[in-house]
Amino acid sequence: MSQHVLQAEALTKTYRSGSGSLTVLDNVSFSVRQGNTISIVGPSGSGKTTLLGLCAGLDVPTSGVISLMGFKLNAMSEDDRAYIRNQYVGFVFQNFQLLPTLTALENVMVPLELRGEKHVRNKAKELLERVGLGNRVDHYPSQLSGGEQQRVAMARAFITDPKILFADEPTGNLDDENASHVTELLFSLNKQQGTTLVLVTHNLELARKTERILRMKGGKLMEEELVGA
Amino acid sequence: MIEYIIKLKRKTRNILQDDWVWKMAWRDARHNFSRLFLFVASLITGIAAVVSLDSLNNSLQQDIDRNAKELLGADMVINGNRKFEPELEVLFDSLKHPQANEADMASMVLFKQSGQSRLIRLVALEGDFPFYGAIETLPANAYSLMREQGYALLDETLASQYEVSSGDTIKVGNSFFEVAGVVTKIPGGGGILSTFRPSVYIAMSQLDSTGLVQFGSRVNYRKYLKTESDAETEALEKAIRPEVRKLGHGYDTVQERKEELGEAFQSVYRFFSLLAFLALILGCIGVASSVHIYAREKRDEVAVLRCVGSSGWQAFNIYFIQIFLLGIVGSVVGAALGLGIQQLIPVVFKDMLPVEVSFTVSWVSFAMGVVIGTVVSVLFSMLPLMAVRFVPPLTVLRADFEPARIFSKARLAVVVLIVLFPMFFAALQTRSVWIGLAFFGGLAVALGLLTLVAVLLLFLVRKYFPANASFIWRHALSNLYRPNNQTRMLMVAIGLGAFIITTLNVVEKSLLSQVEFSGQENQSNTILFDIQPSQKDGVVKLMEENNLPVNQVVPIITCRLSELKGKSVEEVQKDTTDRVPNWALTREYRVTYRDSLHLSEELIRGELQKKTSGPDSVWVTISEGLHEELDVKEGDSLVFDVQGIPVKVRISGIRKVEWPKDPPNFIFVFPTGVLEQAPQVYVTATRVDDQQIANKFQRELIMSYPNVSLIDLRLILSTVNDLFNKLGSVIRFLALFSIITGLVVLSGAVINSKFVRMKENVLLRTIGARTRQITRITLIEYAYLGIFSALTGMILSIGGGYLLTTFFFKIQFAFDALELVTITLGVVLLTMFIGWWNSREVIATPPLQVLRKEG
Repeated sequence: MSQHVLQAEALTKTYRSGSGSLTVLDNVSFSVRQGNTISIVGPSGSGKTTLLGLCAGLDVPTSGVISLMGFKLNAMSEDDRAYIRNQYVGFVFQNFQLLPTLTALENVMVPLELRGEKHVRNKAKELLERVGLGNRVDHYPSQLSGGEQQRVAMARAFITDPKILFADEPTGNLDDENASHVTELLFSLNKQQGTTLVLVTHNLELARKTERILRMKGGKLMEEELVGA
Repeated sequence: MIEYIIKLKRKTRNILQDDWVWKMAWRDARHNFSRLFLFVASLITGIAAVVSLDSLNNSLQQDIDRNAKELLGADMVINGNRKFEPELEVLFDSLKHPQANEADMASMVLFKQSGQSRLIRLVALEGDFPFYGAIETLPANAYSLMREQGYALLDETLASQYEVSSGDTIKVGNSFFEVAGVVTKIPGGGGILSTFRPSVYIAMSQLDSTGLVQFGSRVNYRKYLKTESDAETEALEKAIRPEVRKLGHGYDTVQERKEELGEAFQSVYRFFSLLAFLALILGCIGVASSVHIYAREKRDEVAVLRCVGSSGWQAFNIYFIQIFLLGIVGSVVGAALGLGIQQLIPVVFKDMLPVEVSFTVSWVSFAMGVVIGTVVSVLFSMLPLMAVRFVPPLTVLRADFEPARIFSKARLAVVVLIVLFPMFFAALQTRSVWIGLAFFGGLAVALGLLTLVAVLLLFLVRKYFPANASFIWRHALSNLYRPNNQTRMLMVAIGLGAFIITTLNVVEKSLLSQVEFSGQENQSNTILFDIQPSQKDGVVKLMEENNLPVNQVVPIITCRLSELKGKSVEEVQKDTTDRVPNWALTREYRVTYRDSLHLSEELIRGELQKKTSGPDSVWVTISEGLHEELDVKEGDSLVFDVQGIPVKVRISGIRKVEWPKDPPNFIFVFPTGVLEQAPQVYVTATRVDDQQIANKFQRELIMSYPNVSLIDLRLILSTVNDLFNKLGSVIRFLALFSIITGLVVLSGAVINSKFVRMKENVLLRTIGARTRQITRITLIEYAYLGIFSALTGMILSIGGGYLLTTFFFKIQFAFDALELVTITLGVVLLTMFIGWWNSREVIATPPLQVLRKEG
C-alpha cells in the first residue's frame, strides 16, 4: 500500500475581523496517497481555496495538523515551508502567476535554480517543447496568450518532478479550446511523472477526471465521492 | 494518528554565496530600471547638493589657508582711527622689523573728463606694502608711478564704471592727480568691499596736499609689520600688545585674520549646510518613498517566488542587490554632478569671496558623497524592502490577503539607525554636535508639527464632515481618511517643501528690508558729511539753489568714553569679570545734540529729557543694542572726553533706532545747551530724485567744498540690491536642490496613492462616473492636501524665519505677506498638477483592464 503524501487532520481556519471572528474552514480531515488525483469542489466561499492554501503550506491552520511528505507543516517556519514547497510541490494557478520580468524559459528554470542546481536550461527547454512552446522560450509573459501562459506555468510546476501538484482552477481563465488542451497536458504530465494531483475547481467535468472528489460547503467537508465507483 | 518522523535539514546561503539572487536581481532589473527613476533622482539631487557645498567649503578653506598671508599683506597690522600717538611711534621706531604705512578715509572724487563724482575710499600708502602677495596693476608699472611720481591708481570696478583710463585726471580734495592705471589685485582688498566703496590710491606724501585731513575727518591708520617667523610674530605681539590696547587701537595677525575669515565663512557655510541637509533629508524621504512603491509593485512577484520555494531573505536580497548597486551608481552620479555644480558656483560667487578661489575638485567630498549616498540608499530603502520578507505566499491565491504585523529585530534596528542618521549627518555637515542637534531638532519639530496637523485635519474632517455637500466634494474629502490613505505622507512631503521655500523667502525679505530705505517718500537718500561750521551756511545755500530739501542739519561732536559707571576705561578693561567689549570702550563716538526724537527713533525706556540741577545735570539717551554692550541702564553715569574736556552724563532713556531710516542716526544724543561750544562738524541730508540734478549738485559741491563728502544712498542701495540678487541666486540655486527633491518626493507620494485610487476610480467609472467627475474628485482631493500642508508649511516658516533672522542673522524679522500667499498658492497648484499628472493613467485606464487584472 502506497504512503500518504498529504494528511490533514481536524483543520480549522478562523480569521479575526474587528471584534468578531469568521471560521472559513471547520474541522476538515482527509488524506491523499502517492500518485492519487483528487479534486475539491464547492460553491464560492465554501473554503476550498483556503484548504488548498493550507495543504500547500501557503498558510497555517488555526488548529489541526497538516502533514506533507511526512513533514508537519504547522510547526515549521515560513522559510522551512518554502523549502518543502521547492523540494516536493508544484503549483498551477488560475491566473498563471508567471513572473512578468522573466522570459518563459527563465520562469520555468526558477524552481531548479532556487535549489542551487546548475545546467537547468536544457531541461526547461525540453519541458517547454513538451507543452508545445519550444519556439516561445524567449518570450515574456506579456507576449504570450492566456493558454500559452498557463502551459508555461505547468512546465514550471513539473520541472522539479514534484511529488504533489496543487492546481487552483487551472482552466478558470481559459477558453474551451485552451482549457481542454491544458487539462489534457495536466493529466498526461501527472501520469508520466507519477505526481499526486490536488485540484480545486468549480468545473465538475474537470473534477470528474480525478479519482476522488471532496465536496465542501460552509467550510466543512460534506462528502467524498470516488469517481467511477 | 499521524506520525512525524522526518526532520528538515535546510541549507541556507548568504547573499554572496547565493548565485540565484544575483541572477534574479539582474533578470528582474534589466527591463525595470525606469521603475527606480524616482529612487535614483532623489539620491542624485540630495547627494549633488551635499557634495557641491562640501567641495566648495573644502576648496575655500584650502585657499584661505594657502593665501592667508596675502590676505593681510604682512605678518601683523596695527590699526587705529586716529593718528598713532607719539609714544606708539617711538615704539614702532624701536622695532627692527620692516614696516609700511597706510591711511584711508572717505572722500569724494571728481572725474575731470566726465564731470561725474562719487564717494570713494582714499588710500594713502607708504613703504614696501605689501610684504606678501603683490599689488597687481594695469599697466604693470602703475604702482611704482604712484609711489614715486605722485600719480593715482583706481580700483578696476571704479575705473570701468566711470570709464576712466590711464592719463585721465581726477580731483581728490584740493589736488588733481593723473591716473597711472587700475589695481586688479591688492592684498586684503578687492572682493565685496570694493563693490561698496571703491578705492583710489595715492602716495602718503600726497595726502596732506589734498587738504582732506582736518578736524573732524575720519581717517583710519594702519601700520604693517613684517617678521621672519611665526615665533617672531608672537614675540612682537607680546611686546606691543599692552601699549596698543591701552591706547584703544587694534591689531591683527595672519592667524587671527585666517580665523576671522574662517568664522565668517563658517556661518555662511552652516546656512548652506542647512540647505544641503534639507535636500538630503528630502532625498532620504524620496528614497524611502520610491522604494516603498517599488516593493509594493513587487509584492505579487515575491508571493510567486515564495510559492516556488524562495525564502524571505532570498526575496529580500534580490531587491536589495538592485537598490544597493543602483544606490552606488546614483551616488557616484550625484557626487559627480555636485562637483560639476561646484564649478558653476564661482560664476555668481567670485565677487563675494575674500580670496581668489581656485575651486579645485575635492575628492574627499566626492568620496564622502558616494559613501553617504550608499548609506542613505541602503538605510532608507531597508524598511520598505523588509516588507518583502514578510509577503505571504498566500497572496497568489488571495490578492487582498494582509498578514498580521510581524515583529522583527532587524526592522527595529533599522528604525533606530534611521533616527540616528540625520543627527549624525547634521553634526558632520556643520562640524558641530550642537548645531547638528539643533538642525535635527528643527527638522523633528517641523516633521512632528506637520504630522500633528495631518492627524488633526483627519480628525476634524471626520468630525465635521459636510454631509450636505455635493457627491464630488464629499468623495474627495473622504479620500483623505479612507483606508490606505496617503494623507500623512503627502502632508509631510508637501508641507516640508513649502516650509523650505517660504523660509528662504522670509529670510531673503528680512535681509532685503534692512536696506530698502531710500525708496520711501520724503526720506533722505543723500548725506553730506564733514561740513566745517564755516561751510555750513554755504552748503545749505547750495542745496537750496539746486531746489533740494534740507532734511537735517545735524552737528556732530567726536568724543571718547573715559569712565563707565564710576570706573575708568582702563579699570573696566583690566576687570576680567566685566564683559564690555574693548571696541565699545575705546571707539570714537560721534554724538549730536537735540531735544526731540528723530523720525527713525522711538523712546522705549526712560525719559527723553530729564531736568535736574547740580553736577549730574546732563542726561543723555542711548540707542538700544549699545546699552546692552556697555551694560548701562537708566541712571548710570558715564564720562565723555570731549576734545580734552571731561563731560559727565547720566542715561535718561533708551531709544530704539531704525538705523537705515532717514540717516544720519546716533548712538548717543545729548540735550541742547551742553555741547554747543565744543568743536564740531555738520552733517546734512537731502533727497535727490533726478540723476542730472544729482550730478550737477555733486560737481558744484566738490568744486566749492572739496573736503565735504557725499554718500549717495541710491548708489549703495543699487549695489546692495545687486549683491542680494547675486546672493539670492546662489541661495535659490542651492535651494532648488531641496525643491527638486521635494517635488520628487511629492511625485513619489502621489504615485504611491495611485494604487489605491486605481481601484476606486475604476469602480466609480464602472457604475457610471464620467472622466470629468473623476478628474474633479482628484483635483479637489489634492487641492485639500495642498492647501492644508502648504498653509502649515507657511506658518512654520514664519516661526522658523523669525528664529533664523533673530538668532542666526541677527537682523530684524520681516516678511512679505503677498509673496507668502503667492508661494502657498503656487505649492497648492503644483500639488494639484502633480496629483492630476500622476493620476492620468488611473483616469484613462479602461475599467475592464483593471477589473480583469484584479480578478
